[in-house]
Amino acid sequence: MIRIGDVLVSKGEGNVYGERMLGGARVWDPFRSKLAALYYTGTGVELLPEMRVLYLGAANGTTVSHVADYTEVVYAVEFAPRPMQDMLEVARRRRNIVPIMADAFRPELYAPLVEAVDLLYQDVAQPDQAAIAIRNSAFLRLGGHLILMLKTRSVDVRKLPVDVYRETVDALEAAGFTVQESVWLTPYHQDHAAIVCSKPGGSP
Amino acid sequence: MRSYWFGDVVEGGCIPFEGNMDALVRRVLSLRTRTTMDDFVPLDWEDAVACGICRDREEYLSFLREVCFAATELEVREQYAGKDVELLQMVRTLDEMDELINRLSDRVTEWHQVRTLSFSRKYRRTPAHVLVKNIARSNKGALGRVAVHVEEFSTARTELAKEVSNRANRVLPNTSALIGGLVAARLMSNAGGLLPLSRMPASAIQVLGARTALFAHLRTHSPSPKHGIIFQHRRVHNAPREVRGKVARALAGKLAIASRLDYFRGVPVPEFLDKAQARIDLLGGGGGEE
Repeated sequence: MIRIGDVLVSKGEGNVYGERMLGGARVWDPFRSKLAALYYTGTGVELLPEMRVLYLGAANGTTVSHVADYTEVVYAVEFAPRPMQDMLEVARRRRNIVPIMADAFRPELYAPLVEAVDLLYQDVAQPDQAAIAIRNSAFLRLGGHLILMLKTRSVDVRKLPVDVYRETVDALEAAGFTVQESVWLTPYHQDHAAIVCSKPGGSP
Repeated sequence: MRSYWFGDVVEGGCIPFEGNMDALVRRVLSLRTRTTMDDFVPLDWEDAVACGICRDREEYLSFLREVCFAATELEVREQYAGKDVELLQMVRTLDEMDELINRLSDRVTEWHQVRTLSFSRKYRRTPAHVLVKNIARSNKGALGRVAVHVEEFSTARTELAKEVSNRANRVLPNTSALIGGLVAARLMSNAGGLLPLSRMPASAIQVLGARTALFAHLRTHSPSPKHGIIFQHRRVHNAPREVRGKVARALAGKLAIASRLDYFRGVPVPEFLDKAQARIDLLGGGGGEE
């Protein structure tokens, strides 16, 4: 990851959402982006120029634009029309974002479009986030990584965030993932955990 | 055979899909037939090269992007094409304008009062909009100008209300016939759209807009709300207090049916409307339930 001093940045065309620029690079704000928060609070997965990424829950394309700065191609899946409008605008200006309007819970709907990817990134406000990740792991190559941004409050507001977190980790491990790292994103995001897993097999 | 967006990959080869961009988009949208991800093999972009669709990785991605843009734009357009989408924005604008006009009218009146010692609202029944008009006329400077704008805003609001009502009559013909366009539109806005409204049970429609009272009831021992938005309809608020709950319940029941007719048929259904009106009038006038 590129850092200027201790500020996380990405290199690409700026002014996507009014982000600050630093030495010609785009500042990646951990308060706005959970992935940036992960790079501040933990290690995460190093984004590399040859990487192919499947991004679930692309929303307005804010984080997507940063990921696209680092990687070869981002398949950006989003369900709602309103944020999709913004996402399309971002994708139009970047040649390596492929917009897909679909429900991440039903990967079979976009299966004919997406190739095998090195990184599966998921940030969706849905109850069964582990199941979504497991269903989509069919796209993940052996040795690839999953970064799951667990919105514990979307799973069940009545449960304690730690319990939700433990259940999710158990589900992921039962499905064959190896959990590499897990951190809470405080102070940047409340009740959000980042779970980094790898899919065993293949070359790392 | 494995079907991908660019063609069908078969044993030892690939059959490219022939057709223009529109046909490709239709293919992408119709390929959604797979039901599970079991034994799924992700596509290999090199198959697309074998297919003769593209020459290299760069061409592959740029072609795929073109297809995905076209498909996504089509889907966004279809989602927005629902007749209720714009009505939703119109009602919400109307409700926000109401709030703004009320607050500004109050504030302008307060301001006027400290400038005019003899002004008081006691023993007068001047409606707020007339008051604002008077303030606009009798004050120079910023206060007068603000008052003029509040007045203009009220005019715009009245026009918008008419448009909301007219559009609701078209989008929600049956619901509007029962409860009036404006209230029908508010119900739809509160439910989040025509589809969610048509999926609601009558008991939920009855208390739409009475969220605070409903949750207070569920949490504590306070009485349940009898009505929410539907109270705005004369049939409910003009009914004698003892039967108001009953009228609200009957009306909500008919509204639940009406919204489904609106969603699935989209045209007024006279035989239903006549019976429904008669039933609600019966309760409002007589009282007892037969």
